[in-house]
Amino acid sequence: MVSPAIALAFLPFLITLLIRYRHYLVLLYRAVLLGWLQDRLTGVPREQRAFQYVLTHAIPGDPQHILHTFDQWSYHCEHLSCVGPLKGKIVEKLLCERAPRTVLELGTYCGYGTVLMAAALPPAARLYTVEPNPQHASVAEKVIRLAGFDEQTVELIVGHSEEVIPQLREQHGVQSVDFVFMDHWKRCYLRDLQLLEEHGLLADRATVLADNVVFPGAPHFLQYAKTCGKYRCRVHRASLEYCRAIPDGIAELCYTGAR
Amino acid sequence: NFFYFSQCGNFVNTLFLLTNPYFTCTCFRFLITDVSEVNNEEDSAAENQENDRGADKERKRAKPRTRRGHGRGRARHGGEEDGDDEDGTRRAGQRRQRNRRGRGRAGNEGSDSEGDPTKARKNQANQKSKEDDEQEEDEKGGKSGKGKNEKKQDKKVDKKGKKEKANKKKKDKKKSGSGSGSDSEEEPITEEELAKLKEEVEEKKKLIATLRNKPWKMKKKLSVLKEAQLFVEKFEGALGKGKGKKFYAYKVMMTKKWMKFQRDFENFKTACIPWEMKIKEIESHFGSSVASYFIFLRWMYGINMILFGLTFGLVMIPEALMGKPYGSLPRKTVPRAEEATAMNFATLWDFSGFAQYSVLFYGYYNNQRTIGWLKFRMPLSYFLVGVGTIGYSFMIVIRTMARNANEDGGGDDTSFNFSWKMFTSWDYLIGNPETADNKFASITTSFKEAIVEEQESRKEENIHLTRFLRVLANFLALCTLAGSGYLIFFVVRRSQKFALEGLENYGWWERNEVNMVMSLLGMFCPTLFDVISSLENYHPRIALRWQLGRIFALFLGNLYTFIIALMDEINLKLEEEKIVKYNMTIWEASLYNGTIPENSTAPPIQVDPADVPRGPCWETMVGQEFVRLTVSDTMTTYITILIGDFLRAVFVRFFNYCWCWDLEYGFPSYSEFDISGNVLGLIFNQGMIWMGSFYAPCLPAINVFRLHTSMYLQCWAVMCCNVPQERVFKASRSNNFYMAMLLFILFLSTLPAVYTIVSIPPSFDCGPFSGKTRMFEVISETLEHDFPSWFGKVFGYASNPGLILPFILLMVLSIYYLNATSKSYKEANLELKKKLQSMRQKNKNC
Repeated sequence: MVSPAIALAFLPFLITLLIRYRHYLVLLYRAVLLGWLQDRLTGVPREQRAFQYVLTHAIPGDPQHILHTFDQWSYHCEHLSCVGPLKGKIVEKLLCERAPRTVLELGTYCGYGTVLMAAALPPAARLYTVEPNPQHASVAEKVIRLAGFDEQTVELIVGHSEEVIPQLREQHGVQSVDFVFMDHWKRCYLRDLQLLEEHGLLADRATVLADNVVFPGAPHFLQYAKTCGKYRCRVHRASLEYCRAIPDGIAELCYTGAR
Repeated sequence: NFFYFSQCGNFVNTLFLLTNPYFTCTCFRFLITDVSEVNNEEDSAAENQENDRGADKERKRAKPRTRRGHGRGRARHGGEEDGDDEDGTRRAGQRRQRNRRGRGRAGNEGSDSEGDPTKARKNQANQKSKEDDEQEEDEKGGKSGKGKNEKKQDKKVDKKGKKEKANKKKKDKKKSGSGSGSDSEEEPITEEELAKLKEEVEEKKKLIATLRNKPWKMKKKLSVLKEAQLFVEKFEGALGKGKGKKFYAYKVMMTKKWMKFQRDFENFKTACIPWEMKIKEIESHFGSSVASYFIFLRWMYGINMILFGLTFGLVMIPEALMGKPYGSLPRKTVPRAEEATAMNFATLWDFSGFAQYSVLFYGYYNNQRTIGWLKFRMPLSYFLVGVGTIGYSFMIVIRTMARNANEDGGGDDTSFNFSWKMFTSWDYLIGNPETADNKFASITTSFKEAIVEEQESRKEENIHLTRFLRVLANFLALCTLAGSGYLIFFVVRRSQKFALEGLENYGWWERNEVNMVMSLLGMFCPTLFDVISSLENYHPRIALRWQLGRIFALFLGNLYTFIIALMDEINLKLEEEKIVKYNMTIWEASLYNGTIPENSTAPPIQVDPADVPRGPCWETMVGQEFVRLTVSDTMTTYITILIGDFLRAVFVRFFNYCWCWDLEYGFPSYSEFDISGNVLGLIFNQGMIWMGSFYAPCLPAINVFRLHTSMYLQCWAVMCCNVPQERVFKASRSNNFYMAMLLFILFLSTLPAVYTIVSIPPSFDCGPFSGKTRMFEVISETLEHDFPSWFGKVFGYASNPGLILPFILLMVLSIYYLNATSKSYKEANLELKKKLQSMRQKNKNC
């Protein structure tokens, strides 16, 4: 039998772990446990709940206010894994600098990023957004329409990214994209980037943004981008959405491999 | 000269920076330049000649190209015709020929580079003072005179004479080497040509010497330098001519060889420093703070080697060679009850059985006054080695501290920090690309360190919040310390209860509870302190000190708990000893009664020494405890490294391919090197050695082995599984902090050792002091027997308190005086520094 004294000796270790990783524990609670509990209690999925909140609080047709409402909900109710206001600023700034004509977003989720980018798009530009989950897509569709963007500006494609990307040219008439924003599964970043390269969809000097490259992190994607020589890579350091203490970053890749 | 070049490697020398790469890129060339510097005296003489002929310089410069062609042709003839003119053999002739040929080429070079550097050089040289010239001329005269006897008469000449001499020399040269067959009208031209050539060579040498002062671009400097060096390399052989040529060549060669030897010797000396390359490599990747740990470890290794030498050479070896062999005495024999298991691995691993009854422990030694044919005084040697070990340690620690303190005082390391780093970081002696990479990395790290420091010094923050947080952090740390102290206390109490009831009734967990709890606390509390110290927001170097202090308190608690437990056990053993002694008399009596009754003069009865009952021998028990503790401590450290560092690194590295978050950046990540924990582990381990080595002479040997392996293991672990700290910082002066802690621990570990030596009577039947009431009586015994009686008397007077007290008083006073003077010197230094600074400021403003 292990004596209580030996068990007590582990106490400092536990306290150390608790203190050192407290932010991650809070995140675990807010993002996973609370969401699961609410799902059980209300029977409505989290995205739906967020949308209901937005519907009741936001001003229709005002993208900024809709985004703000999303932030409010995430700060006060539950954690929503979208771009978030802090990294949103970086995305917005880069988008305004590049002024692309065709934008591709992988991973729509609730449409937060879509609304953010659509609002910053130059006139006559078009945004394609890909979402594999039909439930999320339906929510996103409603959010986008609520923000006042029609099919001319934003086209929502429901399907897995590895299936959608090869068909972009035939089915959707996309010749090349100038700006790609990745915010879906972190492990699909590398695969999708290579798919885009293979199908020649990246225009010269196209910008590829990848969210969450530090936390949860996409090491292989970053490694590939840094070493393959086709990109100029830069990581913008920021913090995780709605959790200031957890560091995160957006990778900005400038495609130079077309020539 | 050699000193000059050895400094090239010293990258602190900014001035040499510009010329350095060339001296170091090829050893050969560098030696040549060196010789050219030797010959520098000749330079100014040539410059003088130039002054005379300054007017018709252009004309001369035009000439050589055509005439040199002739010269070359002549040389070829001369080589065949007059090869045996003097003692010049064919080889000499060949060399001359080569020189000639080269000269032809270099003439072109000379005229090419005539425009830029040489002119400036000449102008500069013209301003040289007269006396300087004359002096050097004399030297020059001496030089050539050495070779030619006929020149001795015009040793002291003015400039004109000098010129003549030059002419004469040329003539001689010609006669011997080449020109005897040629017409007389060509002779002056050759002469002139040779003089010209010499001039040029000297110019070049001068240029090489002063190149670094030129306000040119680096590229230009490089090309000019290369050119000049090539030129000099080719022609400087032509300078010493005639009869002394061979001797001169020999001298030059020997100088070169000597230089090379000195350089090699220097390299050899560096190569002899153990683990220098390893530590440098670590320093380049992890910064000086981590390297300081390894340097400390190496230093400790050196100390332990000496301790090991003392105990091994003066105690263990004599006893093993000259003492009575195993089995001759009860104390040198395994008792009957233990004989069955004495050779089992588990027993040996526990340092009992055969290991206990060997030279490794106190109990094995006999109390014979002298052993062997050498009349080696074993007990005295044992005592003196024990005392000497501690005395030596004190001395070396204090000396090192004093030296470090001296190093701290000098140097103005606060101003121009970045310029120093910027311009003087590179080490031009680096030869292989790997080292260059390392150096590059280390310079980058040192820049990072400097930037961190600069940031720290400029930071302004909310002072009240910081203070509050610091107080809070200290409070938390104190709570942790108190908690862990109580836990240890509780465990020790419990274990005493177990011991009273008999340990056989309890399981492994209960028996090892104290050790387990202690090592767990020692492992986990530092991490907690680490987390707490992040509250305080100190500079990493200061944070390291706090961390060290806290862990020090924790370890000290552990150590003293251990010692107190040991003291209890000693007291128990002493009581047991009394009973055994009583029983012994009964046993002996029964022995005599049983076998030979009523015979007092009977010979001693032969009993197998294994059967003789014996006392508990508390000294050996203490030694065993310390050895066990050291071994288990070592094992814990190694296992922690293997699990905490290596397995974690393997996990992080290979599971990163299939994990849902980034393991390398995120949660487990790779571990950082824990400087404070490692340093304190080392220090406390050393304290254990100091305490235990009196009772277990094998302890220094075990420690040397441990340090040796841990050097390799930790070097490997650091390079293979650790990542540098987020904030790499410089470890300036923390070395002395380590030393101060070491001194404190040394003091603390001396206390129990001295206490046991002075106040507890040694066991009656084991160890070199058995039969005495106190261990130090061996000294008075030696005084009595081995020294003349007057010496004992003098000693007796000297140890009189009436003499000792004034002596101590005198010592205290002198310490006070020295302290006061050193303080005043320090103040004066500071004042001077301030003055210098203000003067500099004034100069800047003017």
